[in-house]
Amino acid sequence: MAPASEAFKGRSGARTFAVWDPLVRLVHWCLALAILLNGAILDGDSPLHEIVGYMAFALVATRVVWGLIGTGPARFAAFPPNPAAALRHLRLMVCGKGPVHLSHNPLGALMAYNIWATVLVLVATGYLMGTLRFFGSKWLEEAHEMAFNWLLVSVALHICGVAFDSWRTRVALVPAMITGRKTVPGDRSVQ
Amino acid sequence: MTSLNFPKNANERRAFTLAAIILLQALCAFFFVGDVFVDMTEGGHLDDIHMALEALAALALICGVIYLMLELRQLLRRFSSMATGLRAARGEMTQLIDSFFDSWDLTPSERDVALLVLKGFDNEDIARLRGTAAGTVRAQTAKIYSKANVEGRSHLFSIFMEELFSDHLGEGGKMAKAGGNV
Repeated sequence: MAPASEAFKGRSGARTFAVWDPLVRLVHWCLALAILLNGAILDGDSPLHEIVGYMAFALVATRVVWGLIGTGPARFAAFPPNPAAALRHLRLMVCGKGPVHLSHNPLGALMAYNIWATVLVLVATGYLMGTLRFFGSKWLEEAHEMAFNWLLVSVALHICGVAFDSWRTRVALVPAMITGRKTVPGDRSVQ
Repeated sequence: MTSLNFPKNANERRAFTLAAIILLQALCAFFFVGDVFVDMTEGGHLDDIHMALEALAALALICGVIYLMLELRQLLRRFSSMATGLRAARGEMTQLIDSFFDSWDLTPSERDVALLVLKGFDNEDIARLRGTAAGTVRAQTAKIYSKANVEGRSHLFSIFMEELFSDHLGEGGKMAKAGGNV
């Protein structure tokens, strides 16, 4: 990583990096709110459910554009979907080694793409359910339901992954998504 | 330090506000595009003046979103390079101060006192911070001024300020003359 994103070197050798820009953070928490609203609070038949669904689509679409033209760590180029790298990362994790990734780590990257794709599937199936052509279609309803179940599993895995990685690398990931800065212990290399 | 933190926070607020506007505008753009899309599928045509205006508004919003995104990226990049420059300057300043102190043969306690003087503390504060008598600090500062061959506090500052203002900072001419070991 370019030293330009390095904010300062503390006395204990811990380094702080500005990683997540405000747009990344806003999209992340708005999407989490949208999933919470539509999954747990709003009734599936209410018009508000539809509006929140459209908003979720707009959020993911914004993130995709930002992934193409945004800041360094927010770009897809910083965390390409790479299953081989994810496996390598898994092996390093088991050995308790490996560098700290400033953007998503290869496993986290797969999860991010997975959640965005699942949200898009949910919006697509949800939208089609409301169209005249597919109104009352059973398989579409089932697909919507299945995508939602998959999203629940994904979100649970995402939260576990964040908790585990925060413990393993001693980089507090939740505050990083709030303040935008990652503080890396001095004995860890950074990638 | 607080004075340095303030503009950083103001910068962060600016970036956050811009990001929030981008998101809001992106949501609006999406709803406009969706509206045009639905109207088209329901038999609307772009030659209808109302439809054409709506499509234009959607297009303008999308362009606005992209433009603001590029602006945000530029803004964040500028903040980052500003922070880097400031950090580099701080590092150089520390080296410079060290090299001057070396060349004046200051004792360790005189170095401490001199650094506190440069940080803007007066003699009473320094005495309190170091747990010594005010008279001791007065003697130490007098010794520092005589070693540095300056008349007093402001003259001491001016030595370092002059280094900051000179346009041949990178050449290290002055530091070499002062016998610094950088």
